[in-house]
Amino acid sequence: MSRLKKAITYVPLAKWLTIEMAALIVLSLLWFTESRLAGYSAFIGGLIFVIPNAYFAHRTFRYQGARQVHVAVGNMFRAESIKLALTAVFFAAVFTLMEPVHVPALLFTFAVMVVLGTALRWLIRPRPQR
Amino acid sequence: MEMVYIAAALIIGLGALGAGIGFGLLGGKLLESTARQPEMANQLQTKAFIMAGLLDAVPMIGVGIAMYLIFVVAG
Repeated sequence: MSRLKKAITYVPLAKWLTIEMAALIVLSLLWFTESRLAGYSAFIGGLIFVIPNAYFAHRTFRYQGARQVHVAVGNMFRAESIKLALTAVFFAAVFTLMEPVHVPALLFTFAVMVVLGTALRWLIRPRPQR
Repeated sequence: MEMVYIAAALIIGLGALGAGIGFGLLGGKLLESTARQPEMANQLQTKAFIMAGLLDAVPMIGVGIAMYLIFVVAG
């Protein structure tokens, strides 16, 4: 068995989070030029994606290897359910508890972060490491 | 106003249905392919993780729009 096949997969969670937070700050600053409300709404919209997504990535790679694959698949299903539930709860909390909210900034930044998060997983892939 | 709730329910329900079918197929194929080639397990898991990101993008945005409909438009 080659060295690569025996290796444990390293998840670049810190790198993903750093790039996502940098992009989120840039987007928030762009919205901030329109108004202060739009700026912080955009920041919160991005956080609504970043926090559940980080939890999903962390939980999916908790178990690795062929012997644990059934546990890993179960964990992936649970992590996805929890991610969707957390997103719904965060949106509900923002819309009910925060007044006022700049809705276009919130939803636009959220959508951009969803696309960016997917692209980041593709570009900076988890790689096998000893 | 009831139509807004129905719209939100449809968005969340159909999004969850699509994500459920997609994740079921993805998990099933991951188990099957790992059983065939156990030495590829880590690489297959990484690929499944990347595909999971593509799968849940649309339901995530759907949840956001549905919450907006429920709590802002109808609320």
